Amino acid sequence: MNFAPDHFHPLSRRHFFKAAGVGVGRIALAGLMFPELARAATAARTSVKAHPGLPGLPHFASKAKRLIYLFMNGGPSQMDLLDYKPGLEKIYDSDLPDSIRMGQRLTTMTSGQSRFPIAPSKYQFKRYGQSGIWFSDLLQHTAKVADDLAVIKSVHTEAINHDPAVTYIQTGNQIPGKPSLGSWLSYGLGSECDNLPAFVVMTPSWSAKRDAQALYQRLWEAGFLPTKHAGVALRARGDPVLYLNDPPGVDKAARRDMLDALAKLNTTSFKRLGDPEINTRIAQYEMAFRMQSSVPELTDLAGESKATLDLYGPEVTTPGTFSHSALLARRLAERGVRSIEIFHREWDHHGDLPRDLPLQCRDVDHACYGLITDLKNRGMLDETLVVWGGEFGRTVYCQGKLSKENYGRDHHPRCFTMWMAGAGIKGGTVYGETDDFSYNVVKDPVHISDINATILHCMGIDHRRLTFKFQGLEQRLTGVEQEATPIEGILA
Amino acid sequence: MLRGCPERLAMHLKETGDWQRNTKDSGAAFLPGNSIEKRRAADTLNPVLTNSRMIQMRRWALAGNLTDLLRWAFVCAFLTGLSTRAPAAEAKARARVDFNRDIRPILSDNCYACHGPDSGKRKAGLRLDLKEAALAKLKSDNFAIVPGDPAKSALIARITNKDEDERMPPLKTGKHLTDAQIDLLRRWIVQGAVWQGHWSFIKPERPSPPATTGKRWARNPIDQFILARIEKEKLKPSPEADRATLIRRVAFDLTGLPPTPTEVDAFFADKQPDAYERLVDRLLQSPRFGEHEARYWLDVARYGDTHGLHLDNERSLWPYRDWVVSAFNRNQPFDQFTIEQLAGDLVESPTREQKIASGFNRCNVTSSEGGAIDDEFYMRYAVDRTETTSVVWMGLTAGCAVCHDHKFDPISQREFYQLYAFFNSLTEKAMDGNALLPPPIWKLPTPDQKEKLDRLNETLAERERVVRDAVAKVDYAEPPADRKPSEIERGDFVWVEDDFPAGAKAESSGADRKWIGEGRIHSGKRALTRTDKGLAQDFFTGARQALMIGKDDKLFAYVYLDPADPPKAIMLQFHTSDWLNRANWGDEDAIPFGDKGTTQKLLLGALPATGQWVRLEVDAEKVGLKPGAKVDGFAFTQFGGTVNWDKAGLMTATAQEDLAGISQIEWEKQEKAREKKDVPKPVEEALKADDAKRTDEQKKLLRDHYIANVYAPVREPFSPLLKARDEAKKPRDDLDNSLVATMIMQEMEKPRPSFVMKRGQYDQPGDPVTPAVPAMLPPLKSSGTTNRLDLARWLVSPDHPLTARVTVNRFWQQFFGTGIVKSSGDFGAQGEWPSHPELLDWLATEFLHTDWDVKRMIRLMVTSATYRQSSAVSEALRQKDPENRLLARGPRFRLDAEVIRDNALYVSGLLIEKMGGRGVRPYQPSGIWEAVGYTSSNTAKFEQDHGEALYRRSLYTFWKRTAPPPYLTTFDAPSREKYCTRRERTDTPLQALVTMNDPAYVEAARHFSERMIGHAKGAEDRLEFGFRLVTARQPSSSEKAILRETLKKHLARYQSNPDAAKKLVAVGESPVNDKLDSTELAAYTMVASLLLNLDETLNKN
Repeated sequence: MNFAPDHFHPLSRRHFFKAAGVGVGRIALAGLMFPELARAATAARTSVKAHPGLPGLPHFASKAKRLIYLFMNGGPSQMDLLDYKPGLEKIYDSDLPDSIRMGQRLTTMTSGQSRFPIAPSKYQFKRYGQSGIWFSDLLQHTAKVADDLAVIKSVHTEAINHDPAVTYIQTGNQIPGKPSLGSWLSYGLGSECDNLPAFVVMTPSWSAKRDAQALYQRLWEAGFLPTKHAGVALRARGDPVLYLNDPPGVDKAARRDMLDALAKLNTTSFKRLGDPEINTRIAQYEMAFRMQSSVPELTDLAGESKATLDLYGPEVTTPGTFSHSALLARRLAERGVRSIEIFHREWDHHGDLPRDLPLQCRDVDHACYGLITDLKNRGMLDETLVVWGGEFGRTVYCQGKLSKENYGRDHHPRCFTMWMAGAGIKGGTVYGETDDFSYNVVKDPVHISDINATILHCMGIDHRRLTFKFQGLEQRLTGVEQEATPIEGILA
Repeated sequence: MLRGCPERLAMHLKETGDWQRNTKDSGAAFLPGNSIEKRRAADTLNPVLTNSRMIQMRRWALAGNLTDLLRWAFVCAFLTGLSTRAPAAEAKARARVDFNRDIRPILSDNCYACHGPDSGKRKAGLRLDLKEAALAKLKSDNFAIVPGDPAKSALIARITNKDEDERMPPLKTGKHLTDAQIDLLRRWIVQGAVWQGHWSFIKPERPSPPATTGKRWARNPIDQFILARIEKEKLKPSPEADRATLIRRVAFDLTGLPPTPTEVDAFFADKQPDAYERLVDRLLQSPRFGEHEARYWLDVARYGDTHGLHLDNERSLWPYRDWVVSAFNRNQPFDQFTIEQLAGDLVESPTREQKIASGFNRCNVTSSEGGAIDDEFYMRYAVDRTETTSVVWMGLTAGCAVCHDHKFDPISQREFYQLYAFFNSLTEKAMDGNALLPPPIWKLPTPDQKEKLDRLNETLAERERVVRDAVAKVDYAEPPADRKPSEIERGDFVWVEDDFPAGAKAESSGADRKWIGEGRIHSGKRALTRTDKGLAQDFFTGARQALMIGKDDKLFAYVYLDPADPPKAIMLQFHTSDWLNRANWGDEDAIPFGDKGTTQKLLLGALPATGQWVRLEVDAEKVGLKPGAKVDGFAFTQFGGTVNWDKAGLMTATAQEDLAGISQIEWEKQEKAREKKDVPKPVEEALKADDAKRTDEQKKLLRDHYIANVYAPVREPFSPLLKARDEAKKPRDDLDNSLVATMIMQEMEKPRPSFVMKRGQYDQPGDPVTPAVPAMLPPLKSSGTTNRLDLARWLVSPDHPLTARVTVNRFWQQFFGTGIVKSSGDFGAQGEWPSHPELLDWLATEFLHTDWDVKRMIRLMVTSATYRQSSAVSEALRQKDPENRLLARGPRFRLDAEVIRDNALYVSGLLIEKMGGRGVRPYQPSGIWEAVGYTSSNTAKFEQDHGEALYRRSLYTFWKRTAPPPYLTTFDAPSREKYCTRRERTDTPLQALVTMNDPAYVEAARHFSERMIGHAKGAEDRLEFGFRLVTARQPSSSEKAILRETLKKHLARYQSNPDAAKKLVAVGESPVNDKLDSTELAAYTMVASLLLNLDETLNKN
């Protein structure tokens, strides 16, 4: 946990090459067994992280040092949670007017339905906070931090099915192969810690025990960026980080002996071959060794007070729950991890929404409140950006059989709701409006690329200038074609 | 941490400028920085041009015009005359600016987005990629470029404008020209603004290898090109690597495996001058060569073992993977290799192998996601195939033209869709059905299976003939349409007894359905039984012969309630077109179906007596079934308890005639209404067709099928015939279904029309297009229909400027770490300038001259002196050429993911060298697939294989694309969702964790340690042997000392803690050798692990 004050290193990479005489990204060797490395390490220590970001980044003074992204995989129903539409009750079971649908395409799951009956939300909505933002009862904990949130009701996308839509919002393209948001941040801004990865992903369990939509590793992979920028999964079972634990019968001392011998032999090779990458490798083995202690320390909650644990809800001490992951997200943030993303699954409620949505909300609601509050209590919310949302929204009309008590909703890319909080965000804001049916955006549309541009903006990055040349194009998260703009109206 | 990483280049592109300073300091042209950009600049400073270089440039210049050429020749002659006498600054001013090398990259990077090939986005009418357009008068009456006169050239004025709002490129693009770039542009205009066609689009002609000063070093023409450049940079090549390094390097490069100590010894002992060449020949003959080479190809082919999208189920394409291995082992010429993969299905009478090869373009990811729209995915698949084929063979980023004209290369959007049209007419379905084998597929029987299959088919054909003959003899007449069902004496028509009626689709909720054959049976041979805590049922629908309800009819069923475990309620439900007729006994609220008190839920009283069979009767009319209603299903429902059901049916006075049995028309009606038809496909098609539209053939087919299978009067004589036929059919079908098969390409009979898709939208077709190739490339010779075969042949025609270059460049990249063109997937305007352009052209022409002989090309590269150099690097050389683009030293870089794992298995003696077959699932931490998998996917849960499968080469590891094997992706293996022409090479702590802690490596270390212990008695010899196994060389005395010391420490540790030793050696599924002392084994295992983790082990040196 090296929080160097100048976390955007002042030295260019090449300069560093010359100064240190060793490989890029080389870091101090624990134990400093070899004088030549020790000298180099000292020279570089002041500025070098596990890996530095690009020169010239951030492009401007950033508010957010890190990102915590709470991703609700499957497409949460906006009109049952945040996009309050009181008028719908009166037109229960009436047909969605053609003037609203406007012939827009539907998925083949409902395009064959003979009618599209309006399904009003069965949940109660109330205003919360100074700002009076509407929340349904399902999010009554999150509602307590209403004044910290910017609720964006006018997000839209083009993709209408899960795989392309999730891939789109997470990588900027519907087709697999592009780097994920977190890996762009790792690439652009580098890592601030030398014993944890720059991008960590968690995939907690969910309560609606149904067939949950899939995730894909491409959502946290590095695409054409170097693989080291890929997200590392922090797991609830088995080794928390893959292969982290030494094999049975190998204790710390044995590992240390092995690594000492390895460093000595590798140094011999360096002397013989002169390849600076050999020193990089030595450093990476040392970082692996440090991770073997830092990760268990990270996941050990013994030091957390009861008050803190209570913030996140009753499941916080159960590994693998969303609550537990949310607390780990804060701990990761404290330790300088650049991007932390929690993928919570099963928000795809085509039928029996009233049975499953409350279970899903119970998983995340308390913890979202807890995370924001905890960050605030520690003075970290000012430098942490928190984002909540899914890949698209859901239809106002019912999929399948409609009753007052039970209904389902199909995918709806034309509008959905996300929220952001923390660094760079103006709390207590509602941005964008949808029509009376939560079907079309009527004011301030926000494309998912604008969402990504906003995230980058809060992190001090001009989305047009964080590029990587691949296949002849200056590729970027917001796409080579998209005209994306940060959402001015929610920025602090 | 990162080598050969484009980011480094990107950074340097932004910080040019210090090259001038460096140049001044040195007073001579030399390579100052570490980027190509700088080298390009350095190149322009050096007035000494080699002859071949000049010839080459002139040829490229031909794409400009004659005046240019003359001016160019003059300037060259002039500069050559000046030679090195001119002071550096003056030389710089006069040094020839080369359009392709110096100017195009600047224009392309900074200007083409708005002033390039894309007509849609062009600003101010200015186009800078074509000479005529760039020299034309602008709307403003100015000229962007006036050759020879920068002062009059608006371009110079705009790029140097002090006003930020006026300056080009616009601030908002984030692009910025450096002073050096502006200077180049100015000098280029001064020198006459010579245009050249883009180098890679001009057919390579064979340059002569340049003369060099160092006479003896070069072993083949490659070396002459390399040496000439090295000498130009005032450098010297490195000495040849020692033999141990050399044999290890080349063994890894050709087979992906290290040499054994015996092989190393033999190589040392071979004193013949061609020892190395013979070694290379031997390695090229090894079947391991094909496996290793295939791995690179499978990256570009995006080969995987799952569909890739959404459910990500398993699919069968591994015969294609095995075909690639064998093609390399057979040394199939690259042109044939190309044709068979792109169009193996279209060659004349394709062989089985050629069909398999066509699987190349079935490797793309596909979906069957619920709700997805077919047209969208048809388009995606065709785009993927177009993009992949373009990148892999031509290094063209054609995918950029999906939505608009290409911004940098002369490929219009229309031309993209013309290429796309080659791939848009497959017989595949948009939704792959999540099937193992989404058609089109090809079955691959072994010769044995083939023979057996033929025999079974013969028998079947014979028995089918017997049925046909019998059918022909039947005289069938349709009964009159107004025929009424006859009345009979009222009685029980038993519909359910021992089984559900014919044709019924049976389902259950709760536990699986259970019939019991003894005990509580009322009649017949068996009865249904079910125990549950809540709502549960057995039910069926779709009985072929529905119950015809008549007046005063009663439905009945027999039930037995267990007195020890009675239910709360039971229910009978009757299915017509829906389930809305129900009779209920017991607690009315227990079973939640239907509104109480209606025909949907009629309470008929308390539960019947327990402990005995009771006949339940339901007045049909009371539950809403009027005379004439047809019931085709029953549901036997209970809430809790143990319930048995038996004999059920209808008490009726209406004859329950099987109408379908006597009337073909009635049968057709019933069959059509059925959701799932159990008739053969052609019969189903005939049924679907309107009566009037049926062909005679279809009419006959229907009638024959009806008589043979349904027509009641002939059931008795027909049933033995059908039975005999079915008995012959089953083994045939079983065998057929068990055959290995693979996905192939297959054209639709009538091509699907292709269109320019506006803005790349699947639902916005514009102008229609037919298959064709981009105009800037040589014309395509069509065989008539213009199909993929023409395209494949065109790609490997001698006139094609790209295929050979792109291919040899990828081979080069494989051996030297970086391609001659570093952007091996982009040879267009945005691609990088080749480090050795003439060498690339020489290799490309050589490849053509040798009839695309792959092994020969590879042999040429690895037998060059360039390849054989030592990779040790001095500080000075590293400073000057950190990426080793000049190749003044041998290649050294980290081995690829698969090679690292295979090496560990090999040196430990665990590797199973079995070739081919379905992907295997070796050790993998639990939860990797589960964390992402769609619960109902057949790859949602990882089930590890055992035995041999754990130790196969990594090539054969099952590749799940949404969660690829972590021990490989950690070392930069791509996900295989998309083509990958070049892997990144990173260095991370996670990699260290894999090779230290992955059970596969720990187990390998244990076996490796057994090998050391088994090799000799003394520690010294054992350690030396182990060291040689991983490095091929002898350890130095200091290295030996380190090993000895570490062994001693581990020994002491495990001797004091034997339990720990036992735990360590128990890792892995292979049995522990109990003849060995486990403390010693554990200590050596730690040393073995150390050896497997050496930088030298993980690298090609």
